[in-house]
Amino acid sequence: MDLFLVNNLIWMLPLICVFAFLIIALFSQYIPTQGAIVSIGSIGIAFLIFIFVLIDFVNGGLLPIHSSFTWIDLGEWQISWGLLIDRISIVMIGLITFVAFLVQIYSVGYMKGDSRFGWYFAVHSLFAAAMLLLVLSDNLLLLYFAWELVGLGSYLLIGFWYEKKSAAEAAKKAFVTTRIGDVGLLIGIIILFKASGTFDISSIIHVAQEGGISNDVIFWSSLLIFLGAMGKSAQFPLHVWLPDAMEGPTPVSALIHAATMVAAGIYLVGRMFPLFELGPGILTIISIVGIVTFILAGAIALVMTDIKRVLAYSTISHLGLMMLSLGSFGAPAAFFHLVIHGFSKALLFLGAGSVMHGMHDQTEVELMGGLRKKMPITSITFLIGTLSLAGIVPLSGFFSKDEILISIWEYNPWFFPVTLFGVFLSSLYMIRLYCLIFLSSARSDYSEKAHESPRIMTYPLIILSVLAVFSGLLAFPSPITEWQGFAAFIDDHHKFHMVPWITAVSIVVAFSGAFLGWVIYGARKIEITAISKPFKFIYQLVSRKFLFDEIYSWIATKIVFTFARWLTVFDRVIVNDTGIDGVGNSTKKSADRLKYFQSGYLYNYSLVMVIGLFLMAIIWWVIE
Amino acid sequence: MIELFNESSLLALIIFPLIGVVLLMLIPSQYQDVIKYSSLTISSVVSLISLLVYFSFDHSIQGYQFLYTYSWLDIPGAWGDGAGAISLDLGIDGIAALMVLLTGIVMFTGTIVSWSIKEDLKDFFILYFLLLSGVFGVFVSLDMFFFFFFYELSVLPMYLLIGKWGSSSKFPTFARTKEYSAMKLTLVLVAGSVLIWVAIIAIFIQSNLGTFNILEIEEVISENLSTNFQKIAVPLLMIGVGILAGLWPFHTWSPDGHVSAPSGVSMVHAGVLMKLGAFGIIRIGMFLLPEGAQFWMPLLIVLGAVIVIYGAISAMGQTDFKYVIGYSSVSHMGYVLMGIATLHYLGLTGAVLQMFSHGVMTALFFAVVGMIYERTHTRDSLVLQGLAKKMTVTTILFGIAGLTSLGLPGLSGFVAELLIFMGIFQSYGFGGIILGSFAVVGAAITAIYILRLIAKAFFGPVSSEWEDLTDSNLRERFAASILVFTILLIGLWPYPFVEVIKHGVGPILSGIVGAI
Repeated sequence: MDLFLVNNLIWMLPLICVFAFLIIALFSQYIPTQGAIVSIGSIGIAFLIFIFVLIDFVNGGLLPIHSSFTWIDLGEWQISWGLLIDRISIVMIGLITFVAFLVQIYSVGYMKGDSRFGWYFAVHSLFAAAMLLLVLSDNLLLLYFAWELVGLGSYLLIGFWYEKKSAAEAAKKAFVTTRIGDVGLLIGIIILFKASGTFDISSIIHVAQEGGISNDVIFWSSLLIFLGAMGKSAQFPLHVWLPDAMEGPTPVSALIHAATMVAAGIYLVGRMFPLFELGPGILTIISIVGIVTFILAGAIALVMTDIKRVLAYSTISHLGLMMLSLGSFGAPAAFFHLVIHGFSKALLFLGAGSVMHGMHDQTEVELMGGLRKKMPITSITFLIGTLSLAGIVPLSGFFSKDEILISIWEYNPWFFPVTLFGVFLSSLYMIRLYCLIFLSSARSDYSEKAHESPRIMTYPLIILSVLAVFSGLLAFPSPITEWQGFAAFIDDHHKFHMVPWITAVSIVVAFSGAFLGWVIYGARKIEITAISKPFKFIYQLVSRKFLFDEIYSWIATKIVFTFARWLTVFDRVIVNDTGIDGVGNSTKKSADRLKYFQSGYLYNYSLVMVIGLFLMAIIWWVIE
Repeated sequence: MIELFNESSLLALIIFPLIGVVLLMLIPSQYQDVIKYSSLTISSVVSLISLLVYFSFDHSIQGYQFLYTYSWLDIPGAWGDGAGAISLDLGIDGIAALMVLLTGIVMFTGTIVSWSIKEDLKDFFILYFLLLSGVFGVFVSLDMFFFFFFYELSVLPMYLLIGKWGSSSKFPTFARTKEYSAMKLTLVLVAGSVLIWVAIIAIFIQSNLGTFNILEIEEVISENLSTNFQKIAVPLLMIGVGILAGLWPFHTWSPDGHVSAPSGVSMVHAGVLMKLGAFGIIRIGMFLLPEGAQFWMPLLIVLGAVIVIYGAISAMGQTDFKYVIGYSSVSHMGYVLMGIATLHYLGLTGAVLQMFSHGVMTALFFAVVGMIYERTHTRDSLVLQGLAKKMTVTTILFGIAGLTSLGLPGLSGFVAELLIFMGIFQSYGFGGIILGSFAVVGAAITAIYILRLIAKAFFGPVSSEWEDLTDSNLRERFAASILVFTILLIGLWPYPFVEVIKHGVGPILSGIVGAI
């Protein structure tokens, strides 16, 4: 077995991170830096392996690299584990290893002095391993395997500061909410297995395309699998866990809850897309869920005043945009936006972390203001992230958004105006956030005394901001190499093209959103209460997040747990005390009564004998 | 030497604990350390034998292995082939081999955990070994008489173990004394035994061979055991042994028993004793009464689904650690029953793997709860808070058990439940899809009550009451790490275990017409 054979080497991607996890988890206290160096080293090596594999993959003419072994052998039914490098997974691996590497370096500065410093990096390694396994797996079962493990990583990191009640609750909420989606995912996977006899994704798609699976089965299994994607990618109405997940350390939010794990749902839908398009109406459902999420989450982001929650709702909103794009046959555009959003949002979260670092962990934007002078690097990089996400030309977010708009116009024209409104919202709330944090003057003691973060934190910001500026250029075909543009890389059928009027409209909408944001929050020309007053009801509804949390917690406490307690009482009182104990007690009682038959008096016995004799005589007489 | 091992190792599994019983009786009870170390030695030897039996079991050879026969008693009268006899016939297939391994693991770790018992340690271990001798006996017997004999031997010591070393609890709404739990457990299980005994005698008479030997009876099923007879005998057996597997509505002995039992006994009780029930259904119900089993299985799978959901929701309503885990055990045994009832290769394999997985997992659960109870003297999740800060390792151990329970991939529960789910979906057509969906939902409910328990008791700020708690000691960690290792091994590399299970599952399903 040759380790440097690329088929074997790809196993090292998740394995090396698993080893790092084990080493840190068990021996953290014996390693310098409590194991951070092991974690960063392993993810760094994973990144190098990625480069190696990428070169091999490109030299091999972009043909899939595949490797598998049998995990469970049950004769007719084989369950195997296999890894697959293809055009989608190579992009995901690059994103994951790179962002994880930067975030872990950044974390060394951010988490300095924490009592569980080593454990933090251990879980990071576990998460990286699971995430790599997720995007590498060639079959749905292994994907589910990794899918749950990234959920575990997320659970452990959200609940990292478990002494805080809110963190413990948020971790539980995240796991349980995504688990609801996962119920659907697992059922969908097993139904597909029943229909096709395999877990292998390409085989399932092949069977389905040949007409081997009935439309009903495709519809229901696709819908159930999409439910899983909704949970993980925080789509309405399963989005409630993501804002609460901000209880975790901020670098975790950057990596897991912005760039990688929450994108897993997008990845899954993109991966299963050939199946989904066969299911009647599935793409419409995906589009509707996507656009509802895009608009509603964008609206909530506009009124949140917690820096991390604004970014969280913005993440939900952009994940909705990606779903919408997938529903409009724009899988390449969705992946492009996934990557660029990953860079930009990681940059913004790390920037937010830097702000919090300088502000003694304050997250309320009302307490900030005027940080531009005190934190120059954070301010500039944050601005770049803001503009990129707002889709301002010529930053990278503009290009990916443009491609999505083209797909929507071509396949879902009805959604186009609403999407434009969402784009407007998106640039408005991002500029609002930037203005509130960095412009005007300090509004509290914390922001008076704010200071720039150490270099270990600012360098990752700079690297990410360079990517946020330039990665949009990947959209264009290269004149000197064979690169045909990102869309063509993902799918040969998608040729790079632009629609000039859509580009123009997109530029105008994004600019007007940004301009309005600057007028209200930067230049303060318009008083915000003047706008919100006439729409008091809507403002209230949006700022209470459309009451999702209230309704869910009502269902949980009033219905689910009440029912559980009721059932517990039923089990105790009816089944046990009446049923089981009742049998015992009635035995005892009947024995109490029956014991008088054995009175010990001779005349009682002879009386019974005489009666018996008479009865027998009568019976004999009747029969004869 | 190898030959001797092959012939007598199963007998040794039954005899050695009994030797231990006699040995302990001879040691004066004031020598605590001598008792501790000799019980550990006995436990280690027996576990080692079970490990050797498992690893020298060759799953590529068809049929029962490690056969041993000792003719015990002649039965007078004229039987089919001449004289009748009761003989001690031992032998294992793949299913029993795995159960023997499970019993070995739980016995060993249970012994280590029980070291901390202060009162009458000698008597405790005497009963403990008597119990385990019976458990081994059930798993390795090929003779229905001795199956029943050992079955009773494994149930009755529980009465004393719970009644004497257990703990009574007072809850806001009701009190649960250990005497009540012990009494209920024994009476309910003995009531089940009556049904089993009736079924066994009926099979014995009907088969008309003058033997209780399962393998010999199996050969005359088509001639002597009519379909109608099988349809009558199966419910007797299914309810009789099903009670031990937590069959609804006869399950209430189990959570109450757990709550009152000391942790070592809880480990054995939930870890292996509940498996005897499921094992009985497979060994006698499916193997000797295939047509009857086929007739009744649709009912069993529905009951299984009810148990899964009912147990999970009941667990959600509880706040006492042991009640939660007790109901969770009931819920997980529901998966075993469902898997058996699929009559499907995948489902039955999954059911056996789930028996093993659940045994190890639940042993870990009760070991950890024991560690907490010894230090805090409470099991109420409403009182406990922030334990993670003070008992970090214990928290991680509980977390691993909890994650196994909710079916996290990479841990044993996932593999077993996955195979069961796949089996359910493959059988009973559309009904299978509905029942399978219920089963998957059950796993999600498990996530709710386990994570709720963790968030309540382990997370959050440490209350002043628990400021000076100490973490688990080396002895406890050693016991737990064996269980954790087993959980991870199955979860990540189930291949060898599944190969062994296949050895036993194949012949059983080939006897059932229409099974896949």
